[in-house]
Amino acid sequence: MITTPAPSHAAAARQWFLARADLGALIDGLRDSGRRVIGPTIRENAIVYDEIQSAADLPAGWRDEQAAGRYRLERRADERVFGYTVGPTSWKRFTFPPNLPIASAHRTGSFGFEQPTPDAPPVAFLGVRACEIAALEIQDRVFLGGQFTDEDFRARRAAAFIVAVQCTTSSSTCFCTSMGTGPEVHGGYDILMTEIDEGFVVHAGSPEGAAIVAKLPTRRPSHAEAGAAVDNVESVRTQMGEPLPMAGINERLKLQLDHPRWAMVADRCVECGNCTMSCPTCFCTSVVERSDMEGRRSTTERQWDSCFDVAFAKVAGGDFRSRPRDRYRQWLTHKFSTWFDQFGSSGCVGCGRCITWCPVAIDVREELAAIAPPIAPVIRPVAVEPVAASPGSYSIARVATIRPETEDTSTLTLTDVDPAFLAGRPGQFVMIALPAFPAVPISISRFRANGIDLTIRAVGPTSTALTNLHPGAKVGLRGPLGTFWPVEEAYGRHAVVVAGGVGLSPLHGLVDALVANHDRFESVSLFYGSRTPEDQLFRDDLAAWSTGKAIDVAITVDRAGPEWKGRVGVVTTLFDMISWDCTKVTAFVVGPERMMQASVQGLISKGVPADRICVSMERHMECGIGLCGHCQMGGRFVCKDGPVFRLNELGDLFNREGI
Amino acid sequence: MATTGRTARPRVAVAKFASCDGCQLTILDLEDELLEIVSRFDIVEFPEATSRRSPGPYDIVFVEGSISAPEHIDQIKELRKQARVLVTIGACATAGGIQALRNWADHDAYRAAVYAHPEWIESLATATPVAEHVKVDAELRGCPIDPGQLTELLTAVLVGRRPQIRDEAVCRECKRKGIVCLVVASGEACMGPVTTSGCNALCPTYDRGCYGCFGPRANANAKSWSAGLLKSGRPPEEVRRIFAGFTGYAEPFRSVITELGKAKG
Repeated sequence: MITTPAPSHAAAARQWFLARADLGALIDGLRDSGRRVIGPTIRENAIVYDEIQSAADLPAGWRDEQAAGRYRLERRADERVFGYTVGPTSWKRFTFPPNLPIASAHRTGSFGFEQPTPDAPPVAFLGVRACEIAALEIQDRVFLGGQFTDEDFRARRAAAFIVAVQCTTSSSTCFCTSMGTGPEVHGGYDILMTEIDEGFVVHAGSPEGAAIVAKLPTRRPSHAEAGAAVDNVESVRTQMGEPLPMAGINERLKLQLDHPRWAMVADRCVECGNCTMSCPTCFCTSVVERSDMEGRRSTTERQWDSCFDVAFAKVAGGDFRSRPRDRYRQWLTHKFSTWFDQFGSSGCVGCGRCITWCPVAIDVREELAAIAPPIAPVIRPVAVEPVAASPGSYSIARVATIRPETEDTSTLTLTDVDPAFLAGRPGQFVMIALPAFPAVPISISRFRANGIDLTIRAVGPTSTALTNLHPGAKVGLRGPLGTFWPVEEAYGRHAVVVAGGVGLSPLHGLVDALVANHDRFESVSLFYGSRTPEDQLFRDDLAAWSTGKAIDVAITVDRAGPEWKGRVGVVTTLFDMISWDCTKVTAFVVGPERMMQASVQGLISKGVPADRICVSMERHMECGIGLCGHCQMGGRFVCKDGPVFRLNELGDLFNREGI
Repeated sequence: MATTGRTARPRVAVAKFASCDGCQLTILDLEDELLEIVSRFDIVEFPEATSRRSPGPYDIVFVEGSISAPEHIDQIKELRKQARVLVTIGACATAGGIQALRNWADHDAYRAAVYAHPEWIESLATATPVAEHVKVDAELRGCPIDPGQLTELLTAVLVGRRPQIRDEAVCRECKRKGIVCLVVASGEACMGPVTTSGCNALCPTYDRGCYGCFGPRANANAKSWSAGLLKSGRPPEEVRRIFAGFTGYAEPFRSVITELGKAKG
């Protein structure tokens, strides 16, 4: 299936073939260059990284079988040397030792503290995988990328010569393709080797690497050998299957800090900290002070520690993370979320060590999927195919009536519309155009038996032209488009509609649906705020809803003359009327962005879950179908992926300026 | 170097209850440090080392052994009165020790099976840790205790700081030493995940799963660990025995043992 690409001339020129029997020459070459060689070797039923004297120390003919909480060595059918994945050791043991003296102090005669000079003799790491190079690069950012640096790490890292090896096999615990770190090695090495049946295709990535390679008994690889090297790595990607949906994981986790799963996984977790110790990027440490019995001479040793330690977040007054669930959450959210904020990438490279070496077989992939699942498109796929979906084609409809709502806003009732529009759902919108006027997006404010209502504020040329039409006029329509309010998901809950100003328009159809099905909800309420009484939309409908029993309506205005007898204040001041268990509330919020932010904040502070707050976002739209790029909001097109979003989908894009 | 006035040396006593004396021997085994220790501490009572006796009060009393006989109860209360600081040492004193396994058994039947004249034997039906009887100021865990932790404690007393005795899983020590996990790579039973460190992963270093002799660490999730051992295919009785070692009477190991015992019955 995979076609063998002919290696480009330039690439072929840089590649060499080293027979498996000559691998010892590489180790000798590295040792002769004054480097201690650390590489894979079998000890204690595992392939660990340790000092290598000769090729005989390497795990030729062995592979590892890995699963959550399980690691076993098996014989391979061949004599491949690197035919395993990653074992219990990570390279951090050598770049960031588990025990390191960092200071000594004395008060015999004089008083002082001394810092040892980093001692990092030249070393070669043999068999570094793509995910492990990614881990070293993460360590670079953690230890060297900020204001304060770890000079011991700097020395050890600089002293390390990297012989990378392409993975030609994968374990069930591997997920480098999900984290974007492998399986292919793309850089960060001095020598790169790919194992094929007869030996290795070798490539130097630095002048130091080239100097070592130059002394090896190599020849040019044949076309077939070079092709096999590419295929072998490519097949690992196929072996690993579909990558996990990691897009937005940073924000996804941040929105789930109260997920019940944290407590569930903490019940299983034994807090041994093996995940953090095996992780190639975890960097937490503590210091241990040792002294003579008089306390006159002391040494300070830095030791690997773990955020799972019961004392890790303790201060004199107590423990900031006293519960196991707090500690598990700290680890997982740091690795997959807050690490991005601190160091610009995920802290996870997908090596799978935390899965294999967890004695109770906790699999972070499962926990992530349960706690912060990929955000499904907000609402189920639209029930109806839009008509005239391409940007240039329109279906014709006729204006039946035009009803002024406010000074600048009118509602057009359209008839003779394509049946697709009648099958649309509250929250969806149409693109409406007139000849010579560019199309504008307008929410459907009401679905009627034989037509739809569009409530339009005259703010631009098209909207002004539309509000100036007369009954009988024709308009061009495309739609219905976008996502809609998930009415059914609020069944059995308190449905709360919060509208500000003209924001009531995209909510009108929703209110109609809630009222029509009011007995399916625990309660139905509308909080509506506008600047003045004169800015209210749908005054007749508001009056009807207020007198009916299906919905509780609370109205406020920002300011009003003496004739106004109702409440004055922004819409959030109405929230003091909320008396329900807010975990059982599903809220639908539309209005000016600031009003939505305040409303959402108010709802969340009352305990409404983020995934139960739906908002409709407004953005510049030209095409309405995700092709023009205008309405992009983070990774989403508001026209196609919205306009209705669950708050948790938007993450911190909501509430953020300049998005 | 030894400029500390002799009179200022803390008076130290070492006492024992039901135990094998192994922890006391650990003190005597501190060969490199012993001279310095006796030059800085006035060890006035130490039956394992000397027949010289000296009444209290004492600055520090190290107590080995569990409370297993009727007279022990008065003796430990008296010692507590005489001790400024009371430190329990070893699995017997801190957790009841191996002899606390009788707390789940029929004491009279055991006594009759072991002794020709059981009526001559005065012992309690239970072997219990010292802390069940008197207030304990510090404890050194293990069967036997770790010499490094002992010198750390003595040093801390002299320097006047808190001893740096960490409460973390044995796994942490394995990982720092680079020992491959016996559970994951070899399917061994190991109490490391729920046992507090201090031994420098002694048993795993020699390819043996941890016996749990240092006892449960704070927040040990013994329930999940016993579930894990059961899930690995071990019958409940075997898992019960894995927990029922030197520190089985200490919670939460105790609850696991009781629970698995019920499952058997």
